[in-house]
Amino acid sequence: MACGKFQPIDGEISRRDLIARGTMGFGMIGLAGVLADDAGISRRASAADTNLSPLAPRAPHFPGKAKRVVHLFMNGGPSQVDTFDPKPKLAEFHGKPLPSPNLRTERKTGAALRSPWPTKKYGKSGIEATTLFEKTASAHIDKMCVIRSMHADVPNHEPSLMLMNCGESRQPRPSFGSWVTYGLGSENQNLPGFVVLCPNGYPIYATQNWRSSFLPGAYQGTYIDSSQTDIRKLIENIRNDALPKDEQRKQLDLLRAINERHRRDRPADPQLDARIQSFELAYRMQSDAADAFDFNKEPAKIQEMYGKEIPGRQLMITRRLLERGVRFVQVWAGEGQPWDNHDNIEKAHGNLGRMWDTAISGFLTDLQQRGMLDDTLVIWGGEFGRTPVAELPQLNGRDHNHYGFTMWLAGGGAKGGYVHGATDEFGFAAIENKVHVHDLHASVLHLLGFDHERLTYRFAGRDFRLTDVHGRVVHELFA
Amino acid sequence: MHTLLASLALLLPASADAGDQFERSIRPILAEHCIACHGSKSQKGGLRLDSREAIVRGGDSGPAIEAGDLASSLILEAVGYGSEPKMPPKGKLRPEQIDALKQWVAAGAPWPKTVVLESGPAGPDPRTHWAFQPVSAPSTPEVARADWPRTSIDRFVLRELERKGLAPSLDADRPTWLRRVTFDLIGLPPTLDEIAAFEADRSDEAHSRVVERLLASPHYGERWGRHWLDVARYADTKGYVFMQDPNYHWAWTYRDYVIRSLNADKPYDRFIQEQIAADQLEPAAERDAIAALGFITVGSRFINNQQDIIDDRIDVVSRGILGLTVACARCHDHKFDPIPAEDYYSLYGVFASSNEPEVPPPLGDPAKHAEYANFERELKVREAALAAYRESKYAELQETNRRRSGEYLVAASSGRDRPNTREFMLIADGSDLNPRMINAWRRFLDSTRGKHDPIFAPFHALVKLPAEGFAKKADALLADYRAKPAADAPINPVVLETLSSARISSLTELARTYSNLLHSAHQQGHELARRKNGGKEAVPLPEPAWEELRLVFERAGCPTKLGLDQLNDLQLLPDRPSQAKLRELREKVEKWRDSGPGAPPRAMALVDAPSPGKQRVFLRGNPGTPGAEVPRRFLRLTSTTPPPAFTRGSGRGELARAVTDPGNPLTARVFVNRVWMHHLGTPLVSTPSDFGLRSDPPTNPALLDHLASRFMSEGWSIKQLHRAIVLSRTYRQASLDRPDARAIDPENTLYWRFNRRRLDFESTRDALLAVSGRLDPTVGGRSVDDMMNPGPKKRRTLYGKVDRLNLPGVFRTFDFPDPAVSNAKRDQTTVAPQALALMNHPLVMDCAKAIADATSPSAGEPKSRVAAIYRAALHRDPAGDEVETALAYLAAAGPEAPARLAHALLMSNEFVMID
Repeated sequence: MACGKFQPIDGEISRRDLIARGTMGFGMIGLAGVLADDAGISRRASAADTNLSPLAPRAPHFPGKAKRVVHLFMNGGPSQVDTFDPKPKLAEFHGKPLPSPNLRTERKTGAALRSPWPTKKYGKSGIEATTLFEKTASAHIDKMCVIRSMHADVPNHEPSLMLMNCGESRQPRPSFGSWVTYGLGSENQNLPGFVVLCPNGYPIYATQNWRSSFLPGAYQGTYIDSSQTDIRKLIENIRNDALPKDEQRKQLDLLRAINERHRRDRPADPQLDARIQSFELAYRMQSDAADAFDFNKEPAKIQEMYGKEIPGRQLMITRRLLERGVRFVQVWAGEGQPWDNHDNIEKAHGNLGRMWDTAISGFLTDLQQRGMLDDTLVIWGGEFGRTPVAELPQLNGRDHNHYGFTMWLAGGGAKGGYVHGATDEFGFAAIENKVHVHDLHASVLHLLGFDHERLTYRFAGRDFRLTDVHGRVVHELFA
Repeated sequence: MHTLLASLALLLPASADAGDQFERSIRPILAEHCIACHGSKSQKGGLRLDSREAIVRGGDSGPAIEAGDLASSLILEAVGYGSEPKMPPKGKLRPEQIDALKQWVAAGAPWPKTVVLESGPAGPDPRTHWAFQPVSAPSTPEVARADWPRTSIDRFVLRELERKGLAPSLDADRPTWLRRVTFDLIGLPPTLDEIAAFEADRSDEAHSRVVERLLASPHYGERWGRHWLDVARYADTKGYVFMQDPNYHWAWTYRDYVIRSLNADKPYDRFIQEQIAADQLEPAAERDAIAALGFITVGSRFINNQQDIIDDRIDVVSRGILGLTVACARCHDHKFDPIPAEDYYSLYGVFASSNEPEVPPPLGDPAKHAEYANFERELKVREAALAAYRESKYAELQETNRRRSGEYLVAASSGRDRPNTREFMLIADGSDLNPRMINAWRRFLDSTRGKHDPIFAPFHALVKLPAEGFAKKADALLADYRAKPAADAPINPVVLETLSSARISSLTELARTYSNLLHSAHQQGHELARRKNGGKEAVPLPEPAWEELRLVFERAGCPTKLGLDQLNDLQLLPDRPSQAKLRELREKVEKWRDSGPGAPPRAMALVDAPSPGKQRVFLRGNPGTPGAEVPRRFLRLTSTTPPPAFTRGSGRGELARAVTDPGNPLTARVFVNRVWMHHLGTPLVSTPSDFGLRSDPPTNPALLDHLASRFMSEGWSIKQLHRAIVLSRTYRQASLDRPDARAIDPENTLYWRFNRRRLDFESTRDALLAVSGRLDPTVGGRSVDDMMNPGPKKRRTLYGKVDRLNLPGVFRTFDFPDPAVSNAKRDQTTVAPQALALMNHPLVMDCAKAIADATSPSAGEPKSRVAAIYRAALHRDPAGDEVETALAYLAAAGPEAPARLAHALLMSNEFVMID
């Protein structure tokens, strides 16, 4: 409960003193910075912590396997039966009603629709997937933990996006990335701790998907239009066109002198120190951020591996951000809802799959060859899946499906080559070892070292958490 | 609640035996097997078993015991494992334990006085909670340093300091105090002239003259209005919307109402009353005060989910005004505070009976506008088109309801597992049944099942038959009806005859038969009325059996009787094409109403529903599981009897009175604490919107009560409150650190110095504009969305459009609170993106350039130019060493250097910090 009162560390030296005594880099002091609550009820960060260095790295409740998170958000809802939960039996009923009840989704659906992509067994684990993600499955299935029994609450985009991102479909709550950044801080003070990449504009519900709500604004996701290549359009205020860099340095040296003089008469005020430091950080951020987002610095071979299209570029940037210590990167498939293919699914999913397959496969290979996959948790999935039946009268698209869908995890302590849970024989509803979105959140927080019931924030008289009053850690997902 | 428990205890058998029995056998069973899920920590099924009162009250399924009645005590049923739920779930109790429970219930469930079983540490008693005690008027304390206090506030502060062995700080110097009080009261820096005038005024009244000048400034209302708008979760948009215009075109009329009221020093009780019930006050509010209701209506719209909208309104009233987290009692009784779920729904009923008028009332005198007549004419045309479309769709809906009643009956009685359509939106094709109507028909069918219904009894019996051999079994059943007519359960003869002759072989046919009958009876009635009186009023059919059939569509609960006003857009128009058409027509109306030539501003008003509905508790917060009916009334808190039910309309007027009743211990305390926080930097109660049992007590309780009692006795005058605080010596203290004092009170909770503070987002931007001559001082008006673009004259920051869905990044970067909910206190973070904005934002650069241009080289030699830039940016002359540093910079940095020097000063700590 960060809005709680300031807690002395040992009764003698307060954290504020520590910060005030530090001369360089307030964010670097007391990195272990988590003050365990005596009663062990919740993670406490003092007001001084969260206000003066909200992004300073902090330890979780227990050592986590994952140190950082990448959420590949396939917004719109990719079809499970066309990707990682193939159901060859659909072909038998193609164009005919399923023998099982046709569950009600947002639109009217009818006859079964077979997948346009054949199914294969991949890797040592022999997990079945369609060829839509051929490269990813061939190279990485044994590192992937495929959850085929995900389920959410409703078949509409808006509430499902909110549920997946903020753990609650209607009420305003902080996003998943905000919670993680609040819990862990960030390893690099020169970059935002939580970065959101989405090309060309926003997904539906816009910035609400990465809001910090009642958590301090510093934990909100920093949106990057990843279709841009000009750094000025990537991060707000990152460049000053009217002020050459060396001139800005001179100006900041002047500012520092002015501020030091001001501070001389005002000792022991950590606010003043923190603000002086923030200009130094900002100055470094200008070059560091530019560098982090400049994927052109990647060798041709690497660029080739990720693919030349926007997904590849996004994931190259993602890797560069992760290397630099960014805590949480959420990568969106695109503005609006690209995977929402009510019609022409073969063409639309085919196109998206092709781009994302190359990019994801390259990304996972790259993370692994750099030794980053062990402590980087990659999450793939949409806000829900799609129906195994088509929207009539055409027979070429699928409706939203929250009864059952697939997400997968890789790295960061997730169990590779493992399939968790199952949908019914046609892939409509999760029936075995069901995993609700709240359970996924609880489990991912566990991998990061948090007890999801104790990562809380006191607001409006309540200790809020990402999983609210729900969530169950699914231990079977862990290596 | 406690009183109830106590009185129950008195009624209980108090024999030693009974107590023994409880302690020996009952308490261990409850403690070991029940309390973990049905105690203070968790209340599965809404049930607690930790006190007798809770057990008797029961949970979602009703009382857990009926004392002395073994057969109807649910707890015995559950432990018996005969039917669901089987409790405890982990395994059946031993037979002797079950017997003990039975004996205990049979004996009237004796429970020793005062025992509450604990699943955690006991909470404090609400009756003794400080915030629920009446506001006292503590006498001004004696202090040792009698020469220090200037005002009574100072005595309250000094006494606490002296108790801890602390001395107050020296007075701040005059320029520091002037800058402090100016930013504090109007959110802008003092001008050079104002500084000089104050410096020159050495009279005793110098300070109070400044305060009077500031309180009389129209900018005072802007500054303090913005503080209130944080509480009011003000925004210019609705948040995510599905079919509507996302903008609140008239939110600014509420914002301007707040500014106007504060500038006029409207008494706080009146200010609150208007914001809850401006439409029903006595004496009536001035006409434009109707805009005050924006306080209730300007919240998020949650894709029009009614329960969430009302929850937001309860929350803003309860946390914002009363400092109570009433919304915590939406799904269960409040876990800490004496707020049962019943009380939440009592307030819910008030807001559920208050509607926003379809056309918001105009403000000012619109007729004065030359184009008004034309505006009105065109508006009527567009509104008529919208209304006609909705009516035509409504007629279609009801026609379908009657014509396809059979299909609806089939859909309504098919028991398929379907998602709760209350929770989610179904999109239908044009020819589909309306999903919301299916629900309405299901509810209607349910209502015909409870007691014998001459028309629907055979339906319910036939529906139960299996598909296989349906026809045969149906025949047998109908033959039975014919053979053995029951006198007390007659079957409508037409229904029986038609069903019998129709040889029904499936559910679909059954429903179609009913549909034909009902529709035919309706048509006959229609035809008869047309012949008899031109269709003006209904005429009974001559044959009683047919008349009974005709009346089905006329029954109150029948979907055919749903009025247009009872249907929302999605219910009326479940398919995309008609939704699009409606949106188009509505946009035409709204666009004209909001921005057509001559369009008057409007108030985001509320009006009472014509007949306030009855309100029920929603068990677990779910409207699908209604519980007991509750009257509309105020919170009971610690009073022993519930307050009287509201009797006038929605009860908003009565609610407004109850909230501002001088006997209410919370309202004045909560507000003075907020005002104190904004003046001194920290509140007396650390959670300004939560004065409940979990809040920390005030750091200086006597001071809080002194402020609150005085506030009320001085007519709830906010300006008087400001005067009292800013003219105190406490407020005048220097902000310098004193290690000795810090060792005793590191957080300065006792105010041994002034808290140095950083300007908030609005003041930072406003100060940049003010010192560079870029500020447009216009007060009020529509919100602007080019706030961050440079320009010769810019409006104050509070006039920037607040887009709830997409708040510009710079707002959150500078800790502007998320307008999704009422905000008590802003964070004050220090992060690099703030520095980036100041270093690189064109607006900041532009302000710096304006300063440099205004101090052009004609100002003379470099030295005097440096002085001029310092005076403009920081309102003081530079010291010798500062001039030297600046000159060295000017020499090294080329022709743009003066602007860059000014820019550095605008970024400096001195510029944004208030000592």
